[in-house]
Amino acid sequence: MRNERNRYILFKIIHNGILSLDHSDILKSIWKSIWYFFGIKEATKIGLWVIEIDLEKEFGIIRCAHQTKEVLITALSLITEINGFKVILSPVKTSGTIKSMKRESYLKKP
Amino acid sequence: MSYFESRLRLNVENFEEIKNKFTICEKLGIKNVIIEPIGKLKNLGIDLREKLESLTKMHLFYRTCFRPKNVDELKNKLSSNRKLPTIFSIETPNKEVQIQAAKDSRVDVISFTDPITMKTLTSGIISLSKQNNSFIEISLTSMMVTNKAQQSKNFRELYRIAHSVSSLTNNFIISGNFEDPYHLKHPRALISICHTLLGLSIIDAKKAFKENVKRLIKRVQDRYDTNFIENGVKFIKEGE
Repeated sequence: MRNERNRYILFKIIHNGILSLDHSDILKSIWKSIWYFFGIKEATKIGLWVIEIDLEKEFGIIRCAHQTKEVLITALSLITEINGFKVILSPVKTSGTIKSMKRESYLKKP
Repeated sequence: MSYFESRLRLNVENFEEIKNKFTICEKLGIKNVIIEPIGKLKNLGIDLREKLESLTKMHLFYRTCFRPKNVDELKNKLSSNRKLPTIFSIETPNKEVQIQAAKDSRVDVISFTDPITMKTLTSGIISLSKQNNSFIEISLTSMMVTNKAQQSKNFRELYRIAHSVSSLTNNFIISGNFEDPYHLKHPRALISICHTLLGLSIIDAKKAFKENVKRLIKRVQDRYDTNFIENGVKFIKEGE
């Protein structure tokens, strides 16, 4: 059986300066958005996995199945608030390998 | 040129808010924005344009939106503003005005932003605008309402309108038109939303955010080009 291909999505976390959240809050809100907009049918296909979330550098990397890339981008984009904090989770780049994702210039900024 | 945010409403009396919106747009990575100035100073002078352009590195384009109540008001507004080098859009739930706007070659865009206006869109208006080479604009602002029941209804209306427009014409654009700066999204994210939730194909959605907007801007530039006569006919300088 052929292995399922993955996609890595890099997203920016844009907020208004004050943000006291942890990784689980962001993950919960992503799942909530997937459930609300797409339901269980799509949620089962996604294969969501958090690779990295850096709140200081304001970015995150998540992994999903390659067929559900657009679903996950939509779910990320439609998040406007996490625990009462206004945030934008804006997808920047998608990639098939984590190696090419790490080459993204956005991640190299100090 | 990459994707366009086809409608960003800015209150030109509040420059702090404009700066904030521009900062968020730049953080999102938006490169091209079509601005719709609102407020008392909405008549775009060169000073105002220079001031806006000094605030950002993004490519700025301009549009003016009219909301006429009847056909006479539409004609008056179009004739009094005809020298403004901007995109002219019309937004009204009045069908008579929509039909007249679709027939008028001075109108570039007929906008359908809120659910009430969206319900008034008919295939006749789409056909008329197609004949006239003007554009139909669908705005995604209604999907960001907080009331979940209303949001579902708005999604249904957006789905219906997106399918009827995309099946009948190529001349359509999709804009974000978000009021709250934290509702702003990169056009690529909006393409995903159109594909997954509104059922548009990725190719159609990309056209609505890129090629069609470029064609719209070219249409306006050609209108103010004195050498341009009509599609395919243009005076050229010797040796050009």
